[in-house]
Amino acid sequence: MGDIESENQDIENSIKELARNLLRDKEVDVIIGYTKGTVPLSSSPVFITREEDTDKLLWNNLCYVNLANYLAPRIPKLYDEEGQKLKVGIVAKGCVGRALIHLAVENQINFENIKMIGISCNGIINRKRIEKEIGEREILETSILGNSIIVKGRDFEETFPFDEYLNELCKVCKVKSPPNVDDSCVGECLENPVIEDDFNDISDFESKTSEEKWVYIKDTLSACTRCYACREVCPMCYCNLCFVDQNKPIWFGKTTDFTDIFAFHFNRAMHLAGRCVACGACSSVCPMGIDLNLITRKLEKIVKERYNFTSGMDKETVPPMMSFSMDDKEEFMMEED
Amino acid sequence: MILLKDQVAKLYNELSEEYNFFAPVKEKGFIAYRKISNPEEIELNYFNSKIPPKEILFPQNEVLFEFKTDGKNVVEIEDRKDLDEKNILFGIRPCDAHSFDLLEKFFAFGDFQDEIFLKKRENSLLIGIGCNSPKSTCFCTSIEGHPFQKDDMDIFLVDLGDNYLVEGISDKGNNIIQRLSWLSKASKADVKKAQELEKKAQDLITTKLDLTNTSDILESNFGNEIWKEVSENCLGCGSCSFLCPTCTCFDVIDENAQYENRGRRIRIWDTCQFCLYTLHTSGHNPRNSNIERCRNRILHKFSYYPLNYDLIGCVGCGRCIQVCPVNNDLRTIISKINNIKTNEENVNV
Repeated sequence: MGDIESENQDIENSIKELARNLLRDKEVDVIIGYTKGTVPLSSSPVFITREEDTDKLLWNNLCYVNLANYLAPRIPKLYDEEGQKLKVGIVAKGCVGRALIHLAVENQINFENIKMIGISCNGIINRKRIEKEIGEREILETSILGNSIIVKGRDFEETFPFDEYLNELCKVCKVKSPPNVDDSCVGECLENPVIEDDFNDISDFESKTSEEKWVYIKDTLSACTRCYACREVCPMCYCNLCFVDQNKPIWFGKTTDFTDIFAFHFNRAMHLAGRCVACGACSSVCPMGIDLNLITRKLEKIVKERYNFTSGMDKETVPPMMSFSMDDKEEFMMEED
Repeated sequence: MILLKDQVAKLYNELSEEYNFFAPVKEKGFIAYRKISNPEEIELNYFNSKIPPKEILFPQNEVLFEFKTDGKNVVEIEDRKDLDEKNILFGIRPCDAHSFDLLEKFFAFGDFQDEIFLKKRENSLLIGIGCNSPKSTCFCTSIEGHPFQKDDMDIFLVDLGDNYLVEGISDKGNNIIQRLSWLSKASKADVKKAQELEKKAQDLITTKLDLTNTSDILESNFGNEIWKEVSENCLGCGSCSFLCPTCTCFDVIDENAQYENRGRRIRIWDTCQFCLYTLHTSGHNPRNSNIERCRNRILHKFSYYPLNYDLIGCVGCGRCIQVCPVNNDLRTIISKINNIKTNEENVNV
């Protein structure tokens, strides 16, 4: 891997230039991208409509929100005053592209109105892990130097190796750039990508006994406050009314008793099988620092093994959860994993 | 008086028989206020808790009462029996102590006295510690607070390094101090050091929000375009309000264990950011999008609170600034609001 800092600079320059061109040529009405956050270890999604504002666009390894989320909200956004759908340019790392493609497969969006500003993502920093490890010291500044993340505070400076402190999902990511569909991608994109994945990263977890897994899950999830940041940031959670919000009658308990927390997270996970695009935004935004990556990775693996399917790679393959075949494997229903 | 840091265990031992002793502990990487059973759990090196200590008096899930049924009708209601228990909240910060004042205003507003909250509040003794090193996101001084604000505490401690300077603030607090006869006398040097720390702490607060006219501006700008801008990237999650020391909204539900002929009525934190919050039975939702929901959160704290209680409904702890997933920074929002006026004045001129 080259120098992260200069990679970031190149990506950012390319985003700015492509965004400027799209706005200037009136190919899009609005650009959705990232801008600098006001606190360390953050970035902020931004909507840009004027060419001169494209300088606000930024790329660094903290652009953790999956921007596809803004194209499939519960309440439609991105319409002009006459109710016409706006044409959108969207800064697309690989997982944003995958999310958009899967949303198109689920008939939620139409690529006619979308231009992806494709970039080759160089990974998102595991901000919650760093936050926890720094603990009760205030982080005032972060930067990248060589292959290190430098974290500075009032009277400390710490260095974290970049590769090790990426999001777990970024470490094993095989789709850094958005797959190109309908010629909607400008910039870096993948043509007909085929990915191989051995899922070795979760073999440790898989080798645990059921009891050990249960202890891990309980320990991980029990901090949940049910603020639903994970759900709200998820591009695939676009239901008008989430199962957990059903209240006529109530389907699921609303407390933070562990059974209720567990019911929420596992039902949400089930709903994401074969749909999750492994962007890791859910873990990046959790105020309590809950990391859901093992659960999403395991889901991804099951879907890959059973149905040879990876979400968001092309528009043609019918996802397993949208089809039915008499040959579908089902022995896993009886398995304890 | 002086309390040595290694005497905190003694303090705990002396008071924990009579009081539930809540103190900051490290839990899953963050600070939380928990009822402790061993003084070694207490973490004395901390900024503030992730979830504000309001959760002690107003927990996320709170059983209001339990009931028995005969399978069809409620036959017996069992009220809470633990409300007379006494609590000590050790180590809370001035901003959070001030939030208890705001919570009390809300729970005692008008004809509706929330006995559960008020009883617990009455039975709680606050032993607060001043903030020697406020965070860059702290802005208590913008709302008449201070990192060494003592008024809302019963006993106030200043961290002098190896020991705490102890000051009784309320009668309740002074009574406790009298009981702790083993506390040593503070020297003039200790008092002087505390004053220096106070000055230093105040200087460390760099976030200054001008809230002088914010309430007036908000009142006359309900339909302003700014709300669209402010809510543009908001996801609609509840992290800002669930981690806010002054948010008080809750939902009430009945849980029924049908086959055991038992049930319980619980109140659970709710937030104006959620889709169900203002959803009418008809299906109509007057706050249908993030625009109205974001606006409500700001108006409640910076307009409705001043109108109803003559107080700002924010204590300047900065938690919402730190946790917002999309970095929708309250400081930026407030300065945008304050700018509305300037622009309009320009237009009028």
